[in-house]
Amino acid sequence: MNKNQEQRMAFIDFWANYVRTHDDKEWSRLQNTVINQTPGMTAEQFLKMKGHQAKPVK
Amino acid sequence: MEITPGKIKLDRELSELDKFAISFCKAINRLTPYVIVSGYVSILLGRTRGSEDIDMLIPEMLKNEWEDIHKALEKAGYECINAGVHESFSYLNDNIAVRFALKGKPIPNMEILLATNKIQRVALETSIAAIVGKDKIIISNLELQIAYKENVLKSPKDMEDARHLRQILGKAINMKKLKEYEVMLK
Repeated sequence: MNKNQEQRMAFIDFWANYVRTHDDKEWSRLQNTVINQTPGMTAEQFLKMKGHQAKPVK
Repeated sequence: MEITPGKIKLDRELSELDKFAISFCKAINRLTPYVIVSGYVSILLGRTRGSEDIDMLIPEMLKNEWEDIHKALEKAGYECINAGVHESFSYLNDNIAVRFALKGKPIPNMEILLATNKIQRVALETSIAAIVGKDKIIISNLELQIAYKENVLKSPKDMEDARHLRQILGKAINMKKLKEYEVMLK
């Protein structure tokens, strides 16, 4: 494991401990500041990004 | 968060992903058994990363049974963004995920696959309930998630998801079950 991976794993441990030792509302409020940032894109753009073919014509 | 065998109870502030997961699971729960697997399980339980999609497994079924589900999901306000009603069953049969999102809003979306192999069927059979406030989401048991991510997927993201779940479970982890899954996956 390189230094960067070690640091990332250390953060995982730190954060998981925070989750275990704090109220659900508290850690989730912090977590949501990270995970609520979703990119706006069309279905076609999304599927292209994921390497899927576009929706077939009905 | 309370973790007991077969159930996890949490009273978290809901993210946009949680709201989508809860409403979609409510809609599909009336139609078929299901289990949520992979990244969203870790995210629901606190992992600090986003995701555009949620992975769901459903049992194998006949074409007409699936088409009824597809139509019912459309009626509930969702659209399949990568297949029409007549194509989606062949996608599933070819082990290609079909993706459902709220109409006009492709992200987030539910990536649905049929449980066609042994480990996928085990995920369905050994699922647990995550009680999120007043709602319920059926998720894969955590030991299976850890074993799958550490032994099959193995990407840095998956290893981090697994580590998060190990830490969250702490002493509640069932090591016997984890070893059994590890053997099953080798």
